[in-house]
Amino acid sequence: MRRREYLYLVAPSVLVMFGLLVIPLVRTIQWSFERVRYGSPGTFVGLDNYRDALTDPRFGSAVAFTVVVTIAVVSVLVVGGYVLAVLVNGLGKMRPIVLGLLLVSYVVPGLIGGTMFSWLFNDNFGGIVNQVIRLVGLPEVLWFTDTWANRGLVAAAVVWSMIPFAMLVILAGLQGVPKEMLEAARMDGAGSLRTHWSVIAPSIRGVLGFVTLISIMDVLRLFDQLIPLSPQAVQIGNESLVLYIYNRAFLDGGQQLGLGSAMNVLLILLIVVMLLPFIRDTAREGRS
Amino acid sequence: MASSEAAQRPTTTQGRDAGRGRAKLPTGPRGPHTSRARKVAANVVLAVVCLLMLSPVLWTAFSVIKPTNVAFLNPPAFTFTPTLDAFVNLWQTTNFYQYLGNTLVVAVVSTVVALVIGLPAAYALSRSPGWVSVALLVAALVFRALPRTAVVLPMYEISRSLGIYDTTLALALALVAINQPFSIWLLRNFFAAVPKEIDEAAMIDGCTRFSMLRLVIIPLMGPGIITAALFMFLFAFQEYLTAVILTDVSSATVPVFIATQLGQTLPLLQQAGAASLLLTLPVFVFAFVAQKYLIAGLNSGSVKG
Repeated sequence: MRRREYLYLVAPSVLVMFGLLVIPLVRTIQWSFERVRYGSPGTFVGLDNYRDALTDPRFGSAVAFTVVVTIAVVSVLVVGGYVLAVLVNGLGKMRPIVLGLLLVSYVVPGLIGGTMFSWLFNDNFGGIVNQVIRLVGLPEVLWFTDTWANRGLVAAAVVWSMIPFAMLVILAGLQGVPKEMLEAARMDGAGSLRTHWSVIAPSIRGVLGFVTLISIMDVLRLFDQLIPLSPQAVQIGNESLVLYIYNRAFLDGGQQLGLGSAMNVLLILLIVVMLLPFIRDTAREGRS
Repeated sequence: MASSEAAQRPTTTQGRDAGRGRAKLPTGPRGPHTSRARKVAANVVLAVVCLLMLSPVLWTAFSVIKPTNVAFLNPPAFTFTPTLDAFVNLWQTTNFYQYLGNTLVVAVVSTVVALVIGLPAAYALSRSPGWVSVALLVAALVFRALPRTAVVLPMYEISRSLGIYDTTLALALALVAINQPFSIWLLRNFFAAVPKEIDEAAMIDGCTRFSMLRLVIIPLMGPGIITAALFMFLFAFQEYLTAVILTDVSSATVPVFIATQLGQTLPLLQQAGAASLLLTLPVFVFAFVAQKYLIAGLNSGSVKG
């Protein structure tokens, strides 16, 4: 391809990325070193925002919340997604119908899915889950005001919305496992649990790693679901990192825009570090 | 590479597992009876999972068709005359249709623009390796993973100073920027599946690079383009954070509207339920009609990596 042709083909995309992503990003980095609010020019304060962010107790609980939810969600997603994929893989004609039903929670917007999910637990909407808990005779659970119960609720809602993705990706991975391999395992007398554990799962570990990475990145950006599921997130210490940034930098008139921007920069650094193996693979593949 | 690996792996596992397998032999082989029972059990589990996965939607539907005076009873009412009043109220007393219109306009416009921009770039990246292409791909990957707030908070200020705050234009532009990197990523994998020889043959026959792309390659890319378009549309349709920051009243989208209803009194909650359902119904259709493309998109490039 001639250089001029290449230039014409990529120019619109590069211009959009530069104008609409790079310029805002540069602004965020600039703000992270300033005491600033919307509508007035900022003053340079060096690393103050970073120091304030890292010593803010609310930031500490946002990190704790995000880490707890991430660990819970990712482990359930990988195990649950695998089991579900194996079950769906055994289906015949019913497969498209089952897949269609399972995909709904993935396609529905996060805020709306979270809203519907919250009503299962909300006494204002007759909260069917609470009714069942009462019926069984278990103690009442304060889903929206108790820190840990609420974390469980949020994690469950995130799993609900993401497990179709995990299941589909793992399902495609399962279809790539060579038949001879399963045959060999069976001839050797391996039971089906053992075949999954020592033959199938290791052979799709690339896929499982991909699901893990994407889930971690998605949970790091958790925001939409918290609006309906954790209306008192600030009081009970269940802000996610992005909700913390939003509350600090935007909600109260953008008074802490500098602080929020510093948090953004830290979050970007974390995500880029996590992406490094992926970036390396991309670079290697792109060069060849 | 992959095939030689596949040919090797079974023998190694065979060798490794042979000894252990023999030790387990007494419980090893299973009769046809157990396997049928197991299949039934698997299907029962799957049916329960499907029901659980749909339970939020079903429970919302159940609450929304109750008359308002029994909708919020606790314990819930299980006998009532179903009614569609909540939908009528939603339509008559709120600007739901306007928010729905905004959501659709923003989703369609941002999808079309992201594709028109992303297609040629993805083609160039798939045909021409080099450090520029690698840099663009890595940039697309990083931009895709960015926290939205890092770009949307400055966009708020920029849109104010340009006088386009709270317009569908500003929101659509923001979504083009946020989603376009993913379209490049997705489309590049589909372009890579079209052999280079087709390009060369068409250009020997007298096509220019651009007419060849338009007349030969893009028509071959049908399913890939549909897949990318569906994902762009889906992401724009789902977006809440960007919409809540860049819109106020006149160009709010449905998720923004529902979020504002949540803090309100109970009848308004039922309207929010009705609105949620109205948005979930097309999602149902989508999950069935577009299933093939959704699956193709989720797996494109991901399984290989």
